This record gives sequence, C-alpha cells and structure tokens, in this order.
Amino acid sequence: MDVLDQLGAMREGKLSRRAFNRSLFAAGISVVSMPLLPRRLLAAPEDHATYFTWGGFDIPDYFDEYVAKRGELPNFSTYGSAEEALNKLQSGFVADIAHPCLSDVPRWSSTGLFQPVDTSRLSNWADMIPELWDVPYNQIDGKPWMIPFEWGQTSIAYRTDMYELQGEESWDMLWDPRYAGKLGSLAQGADVWWCGAIKAGVPFEQIHTDEAFEKISAVLREQRPLIRVYTDDTTSTDTAMASGELVAMMAWNSSVVSLKGQDVPVKFAKPKEGALTWVCGMMLHAQAPMIDSAYDVLDSLISESAAVFNMRDYGYGGVNRKAFAQFTDEELSVLGLSRNPAEVLQAGHFGIPQTAEWDRRMTETWEQIKLGF
Amino acid sequence: MTLAVGQTVRRARPGALARFLHRHEGWRGYLLLSPALLLMAAAIVFPIGMTLMMSTWSLSGYDMDTTPGIGNYVAMTEHPMFRVLILRSLTVALTCTFFTVVLCYPMAYFVAFHAGRHKAIWLIVMTLPFWTSYLLRVFAWKVVLGYEGVLNTALLGLGIVSEPVTALLYSQTAVTIVLAHSWAAFAILPIYVSLEKIDKTYLEAAADLGDSPARSFWRVTFPLSLPGVVAAFVMMFVPTMGEYITPAMVGGPDGMLIGNLIQAMFGPMNNWPAGAALSVVMMLTIGLAGLVFVGLNRLMQR
Repeated sequence: MDVLDQLGAMREGKLSRRAFNRSLFAAGISVVSMPLLPRRLLAAPEDHATYFTWGGFDIPDYFDEYVAKRGELPNFSTYGSAEEALNKLQSGFVADIAHPCLSDVPRWSSTGLFQPVDTSRLSNWADMIPELWDVPYNQIDGKPWMIPFEWGQTSIAYRTDMYELQGEESWDMLWDPRYAGKLGSLAQGADVWWCGAIKAGVPFEQIHTDEAFEKISAVLREQRPLIRVYTDDTTSTDTAMASGELVAMMAWNSSVVSLKGQDVPVKFAKPKEGALTWVCGMMLHAQAPMIDSAYDVLDSLISESAAVFNMRDYGYGGVNRKAFAQFTDEELSVLGLSRNPAEVLQAGHFGIPQTAEWDRRMTETWEQIKLGF
Repeated sequence: MTLAVGQTVRRARPGALARFLHRHEGWRGYLLLSPALLLMAAAIVFPIGMTLMMSTWSLSGYDMDTTPGIGNYVAMTEHPMFRVLILRSLTVALTCTFFTVVLCYPMAYFVAFHAGRHKAIWLIVMTLPFWTSYLLRVFAWKVVLGYEGVLNTALLGLGIVSEPVTALLYSQTAVTIVLAHSWAAFAILPIYVSLEKIDKTYLEAAADLGDSPARSFWRVTFPLSLPGVVAAFVMMFVPTMGEYITPAMVGGPDGMLIGNLIQAMFGPMNNWPAGAALSVVMMLTIGLAGLVFVGLNRLMQR
C-alpha cells in the first residue's frame, strides 16, 4: 500500500484503524530518525569549494586528506577540453578551482579571472617538485599562478601484436597507410596541433609563424583519411584498442596503464622525434567563493596519496616527491615517468605559451581540418 | 470595527480590473494565456532575438564587437565547409525521415485498424524504447553497431563475413540508422492519430461500390492519412536536421553534421557570433523545408 493508495482510502473512509495507526507509526519513525542520518546526506553543497576539471579527475581517490579534514568531498564540475573550460569561465561561470596546463597559464592569467596561490597555506608544498612549476611565466611576486597536479606525455600507444613496427618508433606510425581506418587520434588542438608540429618538423619556437600553420595543417590533412575516430573520450578509444578496432592511437599515459591492466599487449611509444610533454595543474579563481575550502582542495590534490594514485592508476607523473619512494625505476620507466621529471619533460617537446589570437586561429583551423576542410 | 465594515463594502463593488475584464472579452483571453505567453517570450522569442542580434556581431580578440554587420553571413557564402555540411545534414535528415515514415506507416496502420482491443498495449510497446534516455539509446546503438558489437558478432558467427565490418559504426550510415530509430515514435504517433480518425464507413462504402482492398487503401485511407504523414515528416525532419549528439557519438570524421559545427563554434572555437549566424541559417533552411512539406500537403489535398 503506497502513500497515494492510503490517501485515497482515507478520503473514501475505508482505511482501517490498524492501517491508519501503522501509517502514523511509519511517519513518526521517519521524522524522528531524519536528524540521525549521516551528515554527508544533509550537508549543503555551499559548504565546499567547486573543482572544475576534466572528466575522470572528479573521483574521491584524490581527496583523502580533504575528506579527513572536512568530512565530505568538494563539489565537482567537469569539462571535455581546456579551451571549453576557459570559455565557460569567461562567460560568467564561477568555480573556485580550474585545471589548465602550464603552457596555458599566461593566456589564462591575462583574463583577470585568476589569483596567484599563497603557497604558505599549503602544508604539502614543501614536498612539491620545483621543476614542475618554477618557470618565469608561472609566477607573480614569487607566487605561482598554477599549482602542478600531474605531468606526462602525449605519444603513441600501439598494439605490439597487431602493429608491425618498421624501424624505430616514430610519429610516422600514426601516418601509416598500411593501417588506414585503424588509427585513432585525440580531438583537442591542445594535443593534436603540437604533435602535428613534431611530425612536420616545426620547432615549437616557430609554431606561431604562418609557415608553421601551413606545414602543420598539411600533415594533419594528410592524416585525416587514415583516422577512424577523433575523440578525447579515453574510455571509447581504450575499448577500441582492446578489441583491435584500433591498432595505434595518439594517447596519454592513462590509456596505456588501463590497457595493460586488462592484459592487452600494448606499448607507449618513445618516438624518435620526441613525444609531447606537459604539466597540468590547478588555478585559483579570483573571486573564489569558498577560498578556505579551495586551499584544502589544493593541499589534498598535491598530497602524497593523490600523487601515488595518479602514478599507479592513471600513469600520470605525481608532483609530490614522497610518492616516488613507492615505485621502482623500472616501474617508472614503463609508465614513461622518471624520478627526475625534468629529464622526461626535456627529452620530449614541451609546449610554449602562445597568444590568444594564436590559440583562436589554431583551434579554428584544427576544427575545420577535423570536419574535412 | 469600522475598518472591517469598510472592507466589506469595498469588496462588494467590483474592482477596476474586474470591470475592465468584464467589458473586454479579448483581454480576458490574454490574461488566461499570459503564463504561457510569458514563458514563450522568455524561452523562445527572447533567445531567438538574441541569436539574431548576435549573428550580426563580430569578434575582436576574446571580446565581441557589437557593431552590426553581415560579415558572418558573407563568410558563410565564401567557405565551402558551410554549404557541404548543410547539404549533408539535409541529406541525412531527409533519408532517415523518409525511411522512418515508410517503415512506421504499416505499424501505425496495424495499430489503428487491426489491433482490436489491445491498441493501448501496442502503443505502449512501440513507445517503450523511448522511456529510456536519448543518450542511453545512442550508446546502445554503439554496442549494436560496434566492432565487436551485436551485429558484427552475429555476421561473423554466421560466417557471412570473415572480418568485422567497420563501416557500421563511425559513418553517415550509422548516423542515419540511429536517428531513424531514435525519432521513430515521433513518426508513428501522428500517423496513428490520423488513421484512427478515418471514418470506417467510408471504407465500407468503397467496398460496397466494388473497390478492392488495395484500391480503397490508395483512394480512401492513404489520402485521408496524409496530414499525419506530413506531420510525421515535419516532426522528424526538424530535430534530425539540427542533430548534434548522434553524429558526435557514432558519426566519425565523415559523419559530422551542421549541429556539430555549431557546437564547435560555441565551444572550442569560441566564435559565438559565427555560431549564431550559422544557427540562423539552419533555422531558415529548416523553415523552408517545412514550408515545402506543408505546400506539398496542400497540393495533394486538392
């Protein structure tokens, strides 16, 4: 007998006294026990900062310290690409913390939407690896704009049993006509354009020139007919790699870790031209409404346990020095990581900050190439 | 006490508004309609106005230059991309609308004329897939059409193909199939309603006068059900033409439609004015196509 039936029966005067008493009893129990429910269910979301991040980072595993201190998780809001995130923030969306990459910092900080981070409020800051944030454009009056969270590479993941390697590992693998329709690519220009530059042999110092635009567009247009799908959704590309629908794809560290976990024979290539390397992290909104909570979120994200999770489960480099004690050199090498991050980051090509105009032109050109023009 | 007396007196005489409404019947109607009208204004007229206005703006750096101009529309005539994508969207939308209407007509016919007492059950069964979210249905199609999907496994198992068919997913065909299924309910229901309304005595009369069942279908039933067919056409064509999520998920590089470009302009490309202009052009295209359908319907009714 549900509530509506009961109400109907009552209106018709058919409800027996015993049934009526039973309902009253049930209602009484619910009223009395309501305040006994765990606070987790009742806490207002206004109590916590909002973390605006890529889908996949909105998980409890990074927030052990935060939960220990404040009892619950912070709020999350997710996006698919960093460009999309900045657009949303510029059109008025306020999140206490956003998640760009190091080379985005000058462009993002020039919007006036962010404030530098007071590192004296972060208890884990002493364990931070300095090479990951200490570049001139990431600082103002000695304070960093961006607090690093993860670092890694954009390279080629390939099936060792299905992709027949000719010579050395190289970016040519993703331009291999033998595997037309079995190659995958990421979708956002922030990765693809730079990898295109590596393939086209354009030094990053010259990536802003018209000539570079022509060369990179040309190689990406040449590649398009070979590509089965452009997506940043790693779940669908990982599934495709596992089934053999794709034999090689442009990928981040996390895909390789997830595929190896499923015992798929897959390797993260060390292309002879070098991979694209990057550091990403958190920036604090200038009008962050929950600033104290936001600092606790930052502190939790750079904690040892978050860094261990990043390396073990996602294959991204951690930023907390202590975390590396739990890994052998061999384990790190398989993940494409190192105890000395600068070694990996400099061996590859590290993105150089560009102007807003460049970013617009690049995105526009890239979106058109993806659509086939 | 005196106050209370005054109040009763005032309440007895109708207020100015009540007197006005009593005299002007038209305004009474508008007053009753006002919640709906306000919602329409806020949720439809205002956004369309904003889109129209924004489509005349242009970009300067990260900001928008609000001086009106037709630059966005001129750019659209110059770049082949817009024409190709609009034509592709038209083709996909027309193809899947056509096939869905053709496939749904017999189903609607069956329910209207032969389902007997079980009409309600049949209708529920036909609309059952639409009780789940649209996104889930598209995902389900990925499972059906995928490389290791239901269809490919079946084909491999039957020995019809030796290697999975890759053209099933990430293609225009995939987009057409998924759209046709996703919007089928919108085709079945209007056709069913128009068939249901047909006076059965016409069919009896046709039979009495010697028409064969086939002839009476083509001369009586079909013409009378045309309004439903046209409604089904419009109801399917309009949403599929501007579709975004299906091509994004199953379209692959060559299956992208105009909706995906509009999304890219409002998303990563961050060019809202151009996106707005493209939306206006798309709305006009859909409007024109709708007029053609309605015109055809009028012609056939004569």
